[in-house]
Amino acid sequence: MTYFLYPGCSLEAGGSHYLVSVEAVAHALGLTLKEIDDWNCCGASIHYVGGTELQTKTLNARNLALAQKQGGYDIIAPCSSCYIQMIKTAHEFEEEPKLAEELNQILAEGGLNYTGGVKVRHILDVLYHDLGVERLAAAVKKPLTGLKVASYYGCQTTRPYGEYDSVENPHTMDEILEALGAEVVPFEHKAKCCGSGIFFTEMETCAPLAGGILGEAEEKGADMIVTACPMCQMNLEIYQPRLNKILGTEYDMPVVFVTQLMALAFGGDFKKDAALDRNIVSAAEVLKNAAA
Amino acid sequence: MATKAYDKSFREEVYQNVDSGEDVKLCMQCGVCGITCPLRGEMTHGPRQLWSLIRAGKRDEVMNSPDIMLCTSCYSCKVRCPRGVKVIDVMHGLAHYALEQGIVPRKETSKFGKAFWDSIYKTGRVDETEVPMRYTLMAGPIHGIFNMLEMMDIGRALLAHKRMKFKIGPGLPPSKKIKGMKGLKKMLDKAKAMSPGKEG
Repeated sequence: MTYFLYPGCSLEAGGSHYLVSVEAVAHALGLTLKEIDDWNCCGASIHYVGGTELQTKTLNARNLALAQKQGGYDIIAPCSSCYIQMIKTAHEFEEEPKLAEELNQILAEGGLNYTGGVKVRHILDVLYHDLGVERLAAAVKKPLTGLKVASYYGCQTTRPYGEYDSVENPHTMDEILEALGAEVVPFEHKAKCCGSGIFFTEMETCAPLAGGILGEAEEKGADMIVTACPMCQMNLEIYQPRLNKILGTEYDMPVVFVTQLMALAFGGDFKKDAALDRNIVSAAEVLKNAAA
Repeated sequence: MATKAYDKSFREEVYQNVDSGEDVKLCMQCGVCGITCPLRGEMTHGPRQLWSLIRAGKRDEVMNSPDIMLCTSCYSCKVRCPRGVKVIDVMHGLAHYALEQGIVPRKETSKFGKAFWDSIYKTGRVDETEVPMRYTLMAGPIHGIFNMLEMMDIGRALLAHKRMKFKIGPGLPPSKKIKGMKGLKKMLDKAKAMSPGKEG
């Protein structure tokens, strides 16, 4: 099975451990990932400050047009912000003929054209629906027995269309984690916003959002938070010392990508495949008791 | 008693000039968006009330509301709105429209967003090292340095964990441009010219 990979800006930097582990998981499961050549930024959540809505759709239409030109495979966007931006443009292109015409007029300025039909997928969608939990369970060599995880999807991961999972109460990642042998704790914050869209500039205002997520994970006895969004991973992890100062808490909670745990459970190397050495709040200790 | 009719000019202005502004027409004032918003406690009006103020012609209240730039883009309101209003796109549209007119609903997010968009417009991508660096320096030389020092612990941790590129200053070493940058720039300029309120 061949897919396009749209890494987005985050997986090249703050979410580099996501990229390493996505590639390791794809390799273990026999998926071929091809990067869209010369992709551009999706605009993410803050695009509107400098750009108009049509300009942001242009960014995403260019990536869709490039993907079509380069083979038309389904695009995997592991970053939930990229996913939501790209799937919105893909959907609206199909539903609004006037917009489709406008976007093609714009794309023509750069010698491109898009006729529609390229599918945008989240990595959870592909893992759950194209491969299925049985196949994932069969690939497990080192089950994560005894590991208690809070399965945190974040807000954008299954939205806005709920194409592959519920927008309110998602379950795909819970089942994937269970297939790895982990224990998934009940988690009411699973699709609540962590504030990452404006966290950097509105930290005091957004602190209670991230605090609620970390707090519930701790309260439910989770060893770590597992996520499939690089914005959430970054937000919930690197700002923990700041949050503790603002909220008067003492959180020291590892926040790990689902693909990092998969890479490890599939028998991959802690560093080379799971890139778990790149987590700032280390998960080494809690994982020692499980997989190793 | 004399009654005063609503000023309809502002609503027409929003419908025509604000991205997705016409969606305000669909609202039936149920309030699900407001109650759903994770930052409802921090907002004075929230989306439902803003739509109502738009219809009532309260230009100053809407355009100067810091709420229009407090949206985290979580899409909770969007997925729950029974009328399918693109709540987030309207909020973003209003913020963009206010900024274009020199109104700054929220200073820090405006500065960061500007650095973010500039990076896209110059290179086609966002350099996660350079954008925060440029943003922090926008506070001016003295404050900028202090802000930067305050963020250094995070920067150092990211660098040590291979999650950040090494830079000694904004633009050093320069961020790589995508190959099709010339074409992308042309597309973005054309898209701007074709956006609501920009024609002619």
